[in-house]
Amino acid sequence: MNPVPAIRFVVRSALQNILRNRGIAFASLLTVTLTLLGAGAAVGVVSALDTVLHQEETQASVLKVFMADHISFASALNMEHTLALEPSVRTASFESKDQAAAQASSTLGLGGALHILETTGAGNPLPASINLHLRNIGAVTRINNQVSTSALLYPGPHQTDYNKDVIPRVQHYILAAQLGGAILVAVVGAVALVIITISVRTAAFVRRKEIEIMKLVGATDWFVRWPFILEGMILGIISALLASAVLLGVGLAFGSGGSLALGVGVRLALLIMAGLVLGGAVLGSFGSLFGIRRSLAT
Amino acid sequence: MSISTSPVPTRPQVEGTTRPVRHDPPIIVFQNVSKTYPNGVPAIRDISFTVPPRDFVFVVGASGAGKSTIIRLLIREETASKGHVLVEGQDLARLRRRHLPRLRRKMGIVFQDFKLLPTLTVAQNVAFAIQVTDPGRSHLKEKVGEALYIVGLEDKLNTFPTELSGGEQQRVAIARALVHRPRIFLADEPTGNLDPDAGWGIVQLLLQINHRGATVVMATHNREVVDLCRRRVLAMEGGMLIRDEQEGQYLKEGEANL
Repeated sequence: MNPVPAIRFVVRSALQNILRNRGIAFASLLTVTLTLLGAGAAVGVVSALDTVLHQEETQASVLKVFMADHISFASALNMEHTLALEPSVRTASFESKDQAAAQASSTLGLGGALHILETTGAGNPLPASINLHLRNIGAVTRINNQVSTSALLYPGPHQTDYNKDVIPRVQHYILAAQLGGAILVAVVGAVALVIITISVRTAAFVRRKEIEIMKLVGATDWFVRWPFILEGMILGIISALLASAVLLGVGLAFGSGGSLALGVGVRLALLIMAGLVLGGAVLGSFGSLFGIRRSLAT
Repeated sequence: MSISTSPVPTRPQVEGTTRPVRHDPPIIVFQNVSKTYPNGVPAIRDISFTVPPRDFVFVVGASGAGKSTIIRLLIREETASKGHVLVEGQDLARLRRRHLPRLRRKMGIVFQDFKLLPTLTVAQNVAFAIQVTDPGRSHLKEKVGEALYIVGLEDKLNTFPTELSGGEQQRVAIARALVHRPRIFLADEPTGNLDPDAGWGIVQLLLQINHRGATVVMATHNREVVDLCRRRVLAMEGGMLIRDEQEGQYLKEGEANL
């Protein structure tokens, strides 16, 4: 079969489907746009929430491995190197006793107390440490166990410190946000699928005589299906573009400083739009396949 | 119903009429076929017959006798509950769904209700059969023109079906069925919605198609047409084949109305 006239026929039929049933097509376009709008907004909100939580996660994914005073500088650097090679470790940095004191003075306001200790000859009580920034908050406890029981380092064991309370809470929020977002997108997707299915089923009912004739004269099932699939795809894509335009407009109106509303960056916005268009096309295709199935069954 | 043409029609004389070739393998075989619909009603019961190539067969009987079921089994719109239906040696029960279009392209099918698309012109309706099966086929216009010439509607290319008489609409349906040059032509009550004159015109057209070499199976309860044509008659009653007669009549001689 020559594909060019076939494609021309399919495209023409799909456009005719939409024009002939423009009332139903408009209604489904509107409803699918609203559902995709909801999906896009949900993705945006969840992504913004995810970004905030990941910032928290990054801050919480810090593990301090304290060095005993007798450990030499060379040994400490060797340990730093060993820890940096761990796949879960993003960065490992050595913090000397002096750096720890300076840090405590500047952030905790302990400069006076440290000065008194220095002048009375007690010296700097703060230990040197290796500060680990881990890739994943879930790895903190594991690395902590390995370090504190000296599975990774010699000599050991070493004292450690990390945000024991914060980690489970942040993990819980991240999971809740991801799960909630996924459920919302799935529900909205299912609604869009049902709407497109009903729309195409109606179009197939309106064109039942045409479908019957096509089958009687020997058209293949796929030839009958394609115009309806394309119709669903067109509806899905137009809905996605409309939803993207609305989201972009709202994002620009409420955004500032190079990012859209909720701190959504341009890259994420483009990804959401591309996802909506792809999702609209896929939902449209599958909705059409479900919608036309009954008409082809006989 | 009586045919009121003037002069009164006589048995159609198609010049050089092609007779069925009895020694060729049958193009249609019904072998102990029964069909019971899902509601439990038996439509046909244990029917057997064969149709040689280029035969012209009337399937006659009252409403509900099982005539349309035979047509539906032949186009595989239904499958037999028991027995075998073979078309050109192919057992239709074993035909895969994806091969069904190929079977239907060998057949021309017309129905009582014409099944034309009202939004398309006569030419577009006929071209539709090609566009949806072989969109790349060359000389589309010529093929459409040829089919419409055969049915005598070559001057109605751009007319819409609603502007045509019933007989003309049925001719368009026949033209659409002809564009694939079918070897088998099935007609389910093609004169059912037509006045006697128009119906007679359609039967003459089917005789011409048969003369051109196609096997024709026509389900009808039009007694006058059957009696005038004197072709093979398969008479159905209550889902059973009660008579298979060459050059037969609607009723057996001496038989009362069905």
